[in-house]
Amino acid sequence: MKDNYRPAKDKIIEELERYAAGIIPGTGDHELDDETKRLIRQEAVRDLDAFLDAKTKNIRTLVLRQQRLKAKLQKKKEWEKDTFLRFNIYFRIQHIMLFSSVIILVITGLPIKFPNSSISRFMMSVMGGIATQGILHRVGAVLLIGFYVFHTLYTIFNREGRRDFVQLLPKPKDIKDVFQMIKYFFGFAKEKPKFDRFSYIEKFDYWAVYWGGIVMVGSGLIMWFHNIALSVFPKYVYDIAREAHSDEALLATLTIVIWHFYNVHFNPSRFPGSLVWWHGKLTKEQMIDEHPLEYERMIKEKEDDNG
Amino acid sequence: MKNNMTVSGHSSRPAKASAAVRIFIAAAAVSMLAVLMPMKAWSQPPLYQKCLLCHGRPGFKKILPDGKVLELFVNKAELEHSIHAKLHCTDCHADVMEIPHMKVPGTVNCYRCHYKDNPNGAKPANEFFQSVHGKLDEQGDPKAPRCQNCHGGHNVQKVDSPLSTVSHLNVAYTCGKCHKPQYDNYVQSIHGTALLDRHIKSAPTCTTCHGKHLILKPDSPDSTIYPLNVINVCSKCHENKELIRKYNIPGGRISTYKESYHGIADEFGSVRVANCSSCHRAHLILPESDPRSSINKANLAKTCGKCHKDANVNFTKGKIHVNYKSKSNGILYYIGMFFEILTISTLTLLFIHILLDLFRRFKSGETKGKNKRGE
Repeated sequence: MKDNYRPAKDKIIEELERYAAGIIPGTGDHELDDETKRLIRQEAVRDLDAFLDAKTKNIRTLVLRQQRLKAKLQKKKEWEKDTFLRFNIYFRIQHIMLFSSVIILVITGLPIKFPNSSISRFMMSVMGGIATQGILHRVGAVLLIGFYVFHTLYTIFNREGRRDFVQLLPKPKDIKDVFQMIKYFFGFAKEKPKFDRFSYIEKFDYWAVYWGGIVMVGSGLIMWFHNIALSVFPKYVYDIAREAHSDEALLATLTIVIWHFYNVHFNPSRFPGSLVWWHGKLTKEQMIDEHPLEYERMIKEKEDDNG
Repeated sequence: MKNNMTVSGHSSRPAKASAAVRIFIAAAAVSMLAVLMPMKAWSQPPLYQKCLLCHGRPGFKKILPDGKVLELFVNKAELEHSIHAKLHCTDCHADVMEIPHMKVPGTVNCYRCHYKDNPNGAKPANEFFQSVHGKLDEQGDPKAPRCQNCHGGHNVQKVDSPLSTVSHLNVAYTCGKCHKPQYDNYVQSIHGTALLDRHIKSAPTCTTCHGKHLILKPDSPDSTIYPLNVINVCSKCHENKELIRKYNIPGGRISTYKESYHGIADEFGSVRVANCSSCHRAHLILPESDPRSSINKANLAKTCGKCHKDANVNFTKGKIHVNYKSKSNGILYYIGMFFEILTISTLTLLFIHILLDLFRRFKSGETKGKNKRGE
């Protein structure tokens, strides 16, 4: 290592000797004797190696970091060029609102559905009793109702929202896709069905939440404002609301935990899950694999825009 | 004896033997007498003759300075039939040192015998001290009852004796001497009429719900009638299948309550939520068919209105104790069935889809694809 610094060191010593020669006043180019020269040289090289070592180390990390940043930027640029925005920001906010409210509602609701289990008793004590549980469940409910209001407004007033709603409507093709998928599962067909923007799986999920929302919010509001509800409806309407709320809650929870979690988390090509819910983007490969018809249309639209 | 004497000279041996027998019989008799002596003494009149010289005279009384009359007559027959018949007067009236006594004797203190660690009555005494009655007594409340106020003074009996003031049939009357409104309500209630009019021994009385000696205020968490504990008290009989069948009591009251939101909140420790007595009342409990009942259709809106403000006639349209799995509920049963079918069929189809998907992925080797790409 030390030899690497040889030329640099010689230069530093030379400069210092010239400086030393200029110190004595009146004499422009005073000759230094050998003893002084030796002392100057000794002082000059002291700690110089350590100093140069530290500096070279710092410079090395600096250069490498700069290089990495550049590569990352390049990669991001390439990824962005190759990805497609599948879910816009409103879509993503709705999904976040939906899943956070559902998580709150399931955690706070299940102990009421199964009051005799020890886990329920534990959960209830963690929440701080049934009064707090009631408040937390209503917080979740407000968030869920907020989601439904947001979604309704998005479906009515946003162009993409209207387009998505139309695309989510069930069509004869969906039934064909189901049969195609079954054939594919058993090996009678080589190709998976070609999905458009929403596959029949996603359509099922959407309409399940639609149906569930009507049942859960409707029955939940009857129970929340039971005094108002019972001033209008007879008591058996309240009982029906309670039964429906309890049963639909279990159906929804099981569907999410088994079906949705399998499709987006636990199936071998997704495990342990993707960040699409956060950035809303799919790569070209994912688009071609999962939504080929939508991909074709997107490419066509791009070409139309350019042309 | 004479037989022995008539026998010839060889009779000495049997005569000796009979002497030994005689000695043995005499000794046995003496020892038997020794054993029986105390019993004989017990069966004799006890040592209260002296006291009864005055107190045994009917009409023996004292007129107090404030004009009140203090009855001092003691009924000898009552004393002789009490469980304490074998005791002397001064065993309880221990502050009477001489007869006739000069001072007015103080209140009898039962803990002289029924003290802690005495197996004959320690537990009730200790429980009494923790009870609401015992606490008030300790604070010096003159109205607070002590042992003798309920168990009786000279006529104290075993609890299973029909003469006892605290027997199952009599205890309500005894409690009612102080708790008059509660007693009046209880006597009219289904429980009161069953026990006092129809003499159904299984029907509850005061102590069945409130406890015997450890009676606590309803707001004490250890009380049997604390809001969270009421259901345990009622379920002792209303979940007892034998009693339900024998007396044709409506069943499933406890299980349906536990399924309701009231029951669930109660289970999780809410004291605000309605328990059995919130709707059925504590003492004036009457069947639905009785027009005085709090759960009669005509009164139900008012009863529910105690918590649910503006409760109206809609509360009566439908059952309160709803058994969600009973076909008699009509639409409710079919809605439950609809959701059951919907849940089972949906999840079965989804599960099949998942399994087929996995089957296909494993068969086409997709699960190993990542490793291949890594190589």
